[in-house]
Amino acid sequence: MSAPRHPSRTKPGVETKRTLCATCDVSCNVVTEVKKGRVVRVRSSDNPIFRDNICMKGIVAPKAFAHPNRLMHPLKRVGERGSGKWEQVSWDEAMTDIAARLQAIIDRDGPEAWAVSTSQWNTATDHGLGRRLMNHLGSPNWISGVALCAGNTAAINRMTYGWFPFADFPNTNCIVLIGHNPRRNSWVPVYNQIRRAQARGAKLIVLDPRKSSNAELADVWLPLRAGTDTAMLFGWLKVIFDEGLYDKDFVENWTVGFDELRARVDEFPLDRVAKITGCDPEEIRKAARIYATHGPAVIPWTPITDMQRNSTSGIRLQSILRSVCGYVDVPGGEALQGFHPHVIPESKIEAHEMLSEEQKAKQLGSDTHPAFTYRGQAGLLEHTKRVWGYEYTNQVTGCFMANPSATFRAMAGEGRYPVKAFFSLGNNTLLSFANMPLILKGMMNQDLIVVHEQFMTPTAQLADYVLPGDSWLERPWLHDSFGWSSMVRPSQKSMEPLGECESTFSVWKRLATAMGRGDIIPWDTLEDFYDYRLEPSGMSWAEFSESYEIYFGPLEFRKYEKTGFATPSGKVELKSSILEGLGFDPLPYFRDDPPPNPEYPLMMFTGVREDEFFQTGQRHVPELRARKPEPNLFVSPGTAKAQGIAEGDWAEVINPTGSAAMQVLVKDAMPDGLVRIPHGWWKPEMKQGAGHLSGALAHADAQLCPDDEDFLDREQGVPHLKGIPCRIERLDAPPEGAQ
Amino acid sequence: MKRFLEDTKARIVQWLGQRASRDINFVDRLCRRLLDRVLRLPPENDFLRDEWVDSDVGFDPDELDRYQRGETE
Ligand code: SF4
Repeated sequence: MSAPRHPSRTKPGVETKRTLCATCDVSCNVVTEVKKGRVVRVRSSDNPIFRDNICMKGIVAPKAFAHPNRLMHPLKRVGERGSGKWEQVSWDEAMTDIAARLQAIIDRDGPEAWAVSTSQWNTATDHGLGRRLMNHLGSPNWISGVALCAGNTAAINRMTYGWFPFADFPNTNCIVLIGHNPRRNSWVPVYNQIRRAQARGAKLIVLDPRKSSNAELADVWLPLRAGTDTAMLFGWLKVIFDEGLYDKDFVENWTVGFDELRARVDEFPLDRVAKITGCDPEEIRKAARIYATHGPAVIPWTPITDMQRNSTSGIRLQSILRSVCGYVDVPGGEALQGFHPHVIPESKIEAHEMLSEEQKAKQLGSDTHPAFTYRGQAGLLEHTKRVWGYEYTNQVTGCFMANPSATFRAMAGEGRYPVKAFFSLGNNTLLSFANMPLILKGMMNQDLIVVHEQFMTPTAQLADYVLPGDSWLERPWLHDSFGWSSMVRPSQKSMEPLGECESTFSVWKRLATAMGRGDIIPWDTLEDFYDYRLEPSGMSWAEFSESYEIYFGPLEFRKYEKTGFATPSGKVELKSSILEGLGFDPLPYFRDDPPPNPEYPLMMFTGVREDEFFQTGQRHVPELRARKPEPNLFVSPGTAKAQGIAEGDWAEVINPTGSAAMQVLVKDAMPDGLVRIPHGWWKPEMKQGAGHLSGALAHADAQLCPDDEDFLDREQGVPHLKGIPCRIERLDAPPEGAQ
Repeated sequence: MKRFLEDTKARIVQWLGQRASRDINFVDRLCRRLLDRVLRLPPENDFLRDEWVDSDVGFDPDELDRYQRGETE
């Protein structure tokens, strides 16, 4: 077991570690090479199943984390909030003061006055411990970027068949990408899986307003109008039902609500769908037929349907399509895997049963947009336990969350009660949700803000304490797919943390101890904690991380034949009893855009991820900035001409929520009338502090994302980011800081 | 019968992946070699090739030290 794993590639003086890159959210298996105690190279794994799973962000990580501006020590604010005046303090001093101030807020305003925002893809070693502490202390107000990206999709999928499925790429015959465009430098494992599947002869269907790189290679490309996924999926179902292409046996034996669904689908004849989506009815028909007849097929998770006015209905329609075509829990289809039976899941660590019903009822947003809150998920608890073993199954960390917009309103003093203490961990909150002006107002109204970060982000600039975070090179990590699938992977620690950087595990442990509740997080180290989580496997963390690169759970198909589905009816709910119980339409539906506003004649597709960066990160890395120095908006040649702008010009994108400056790129692949703008821009080299926020006030897309009711999904309250009215105005000169 | 064959194929694929991922004994390495052959795609079919990814370069530890101290770009 201790033999060198990859002798052919072992070089003298170079130690290798098998690691999971955590620079973005797909966690590629990579190898780190360590010289003189430092990671000097990151390369793709030697394992053929992970071949080529690496991108430029992973390759440049050793330099990204060695940046001279990396936060190395805890900092305490000494001037006004956002004044940029800090003093270095010890971890003990910081945590003692933070604990005392948090306790005082809890004593005065109740534990619900404490909100936490994090994205566990970024913090990795959180493992639900933050929620555990909050649940013990009594706060339900945990929010995350997964509210509009995968976590919410998981919560909605569960309403149809009780689990969020994972696409079985290696065995599939057909892949449907809805706005998703995995590339060489973005979502690489999925890009590689698609290439392999296509080489085997699998079909590819792409739905995307612009001709993306995957659209160029697709069997069918549907250039739908941004934000009309839901209508398009109704069109597919209409074809599939009318032509009898569905799995009649499965529908008859394992679904409820088929007749009602069919009646709703009949409201969407193809000419109506074509009118809404702007696509040719024959092409819609062709795509639907391929999906239904070339199966098993997959509709992998897409971040696009997550973020729309009709998000709940769109996600439901995806899950309904999978079901009626018989692709659920079959090889090559959508696997419902459950937890790995040999690893204690984060859902258990989170200890949701410790939070009283009274406190759960206070969760922000659960009264108006409950779908992923405790209230929205309550109807699934006993059924989830029956099938998957845990009542509080929290997949992709997104079930049982508070609603972000409602939380920011409470922080700004406009909620049903005040939130006065805010913690942000590995989550540049200010730029990461809709309505940045509201988030800013909320942050300026806090009594205590604590940020755990690697760099001085715009969010960190407004904190009372900034705590230095470690990197994925500097810690071990047990990756359990966040409860999405039963695959578990280890990541070995490659080097010692720089300066006084510490893990998220350490932050929660220190806080629990400083609050006199060390019993809540009793493990001394991450390794101890992983030993505990691996107990059912009979392996220690050391053994496990030496023995496996991936540890699959037992493979079983059509488990529902034994257990039923984890829904109230035990069947696939085409008509959702949970949504009905919450007072919503139990069938999917389509809401049109609000009436057009002549002042904002263009549509904007926002939240776009660029290859060089993950979310709001990496703008500090010289190599990556050299490839993408400025935020670029894309428009078609026709739109550029109509707006009087040309390639390389600077333009202001404006709507009633705010404005942001972008540099223009003219792309043939773009449809007329659509503006595509990138997500999460700030410039670490620009002036820090309130009023500046390192260029975030000039460039961040969150300033343009509304969160009023016309732009929120009803059930979840997620913002509509794919089709927001705007206008663009050419700037006479580049903005401050333009390169 | 079709169902049995599909399930068995998927089980074999996972079994091979699990063994290849352990890379401890002879059988593991055999699985690894087999998967290597099956999964290898011609690089020229990679429609978005990137020079950085192809060369997959590393850094020099002293250079990283100097960079961290703010002495180099
Ligand atoms: S895609 Fe790139 S950044 Fe993301 S995990 Fe893989 S190597 Fe890291």
